[in-house]
Amino acid sequence: MAWPTDIIATDKGRTLEVIFDDGETVRLTAERLRVESPSAEVQGHSASEKRKVTGKENVAIVDIQPIGNYAIRIVFDDGHDTGLYSWDYLRRLAR
Amino acid sequence: MASRDDVMDVLARVSGPDGRTPLPDSGAISGLTIRDGKVFLAIVVDPDRASELEPMRASAEAAIKATPGVTSAVVTLTAESARAVGDAAPGHRHGHGPAGGQQRQPRSTLPIAGVKHIIAVASGKGGVGKSTLACNLAVGLAKLGLKIGVLDADLFGPSMPKLFGITAKPEMAPDGRMLIPLEAYGVKVMSIGFLIEEGAPVIWRGPMVMSALNQLLREVAWGDLDVLVVDMPPGTGDTQLTMAQNVPLSGAVIVSTPQDLALIDARRGIAMFKQVHVPLIGVVENMSYFLCPHCGGRTDVFSHAGAQREADKLGVPFLGEVPLDIAIRANSDEGRPVVASLPDSGHAGAFLEIARRVAQTLEVGAPGAKPAPRIRIM
Repeated sequence: MAWPTDIIATDKGRTLEVIFDDGETVRLTAERLRVESPSAEVQGHSASEKRKVTGKENVAIVDIQPIGNYAIRIVFDDGHDTGLYSWDYLRRLAR
Repeated sequence: MASRDDVMDVLARVSGPDGRTPLPDSGAISGLTIRDGKVFLAIVVDPDRASELEPMRASAEAAIKATPGVTSAVVTLTAESARAVGDAAPGHRHGHGPAGGQQRQPRSTLPIAGVKHIIAVASGKGGVGKSTLACNLAVGLAKLGLKIGVLDADLFGPSMPKLFGITAKPEMAPDGRMLIPLEAYGVKVMSIGFLIEEGAPVIWRGPMVMSALNQLLREVAWGDLDVLVVDMPPGTGDTQLTMAQNVPLSGAVIVSTPQDLALIDARRGIAMFKQVHVPLIGVVENMSYFLCPHCGGRTDVFSHAGAQREADKLGVPFLGEVPLDIAIRANSDEGRPVVASLPDSGHAGAFLEIARRVAQTLEVGAPGAKPAPRIRIM
């Protein structure tokens, strides 16, 4: 499984860059990450509960915290910080 | 540069959503982040009152902006709240915990200072001898010359006080906020069992479990340790998830009896650790066989070699087998781990061999262990 070696927030927190050990680099906008947050606050507990998050064009990442060995918590400047982004999820979002 | 306390101080002059209670005491602050003089504050409000509360938002923003050392301030109203039940007064800062970043829960995911490796001893099912193994593994690792601690993470059924024969209560360090772990057989031990009466039940919901585990991990003066052995409760619940999220685990040891019923659950435990990318150090088969003390005949009470087969099938190393034996049970009940009390017995040998394999694995890194990614915010 591809493993991230570097996770970098750039562009004043508007872009997240993840470098994987198989050479792939994925770039995700903070907006994309925010509206697709894996948090239950966004995803609900089933597909029908999923909330559409809008108006986040200018959202920025203010902090990134490691979660165990498998994920990061991203803190956004709108206060959202309950999404845990696993390596697999980050990779999937970039597809 | 403005600190959290500076920001909280100016916010004390702004009334919260009820129009009276100062914001820091209102419980409405759900997030505060400060980076290079830029302050981001989130306030939880009832979505129906958002426009009505706009003046509160604006005055909070203005107050923060006017704080010396603040270059910009963004205050947002949010309807999202997932505050932990145990965290009753989010406005208060206690200043402990190395991260100091979040209001909602102790969220530090930093490794514990001075502790090189944290490993989990887990099982899918209860009653397979996981705590006995954790105890003897710890004593065995200490015999190999390593500095070892044991954290009893089985909050609902702590076994370490009994297994190590410790009845004392831990004392507070001179700094008044760290507990000093108790020591037995060369191992530092911390357990919720030291803090409550034997036989008193612990009846807690998830958030309490998370908070207690964090305290046992981080508010204990472990000192320098080569390995902190964490004795997990059985199953795949709050404790397992909290451990997997709050510290980078160097690996997990899975204990199972060879019977199918236990192996099904062991498989679940292995799958859980795989899912959160905790490397598996290996599987131990406990109660592997019984040697009759009267006739010397061998009985495979729970069948035999099932754990090894399972480990092979799942591609996880097999660490060894420990027999079902009265000496192990009797000495455990008396608080004398066999590795220390009967060091020359075959049982002690089995535990020691497992300890040696665990130590070797940690030396080179458990299979699949990868370094944590570097995180940067430019």
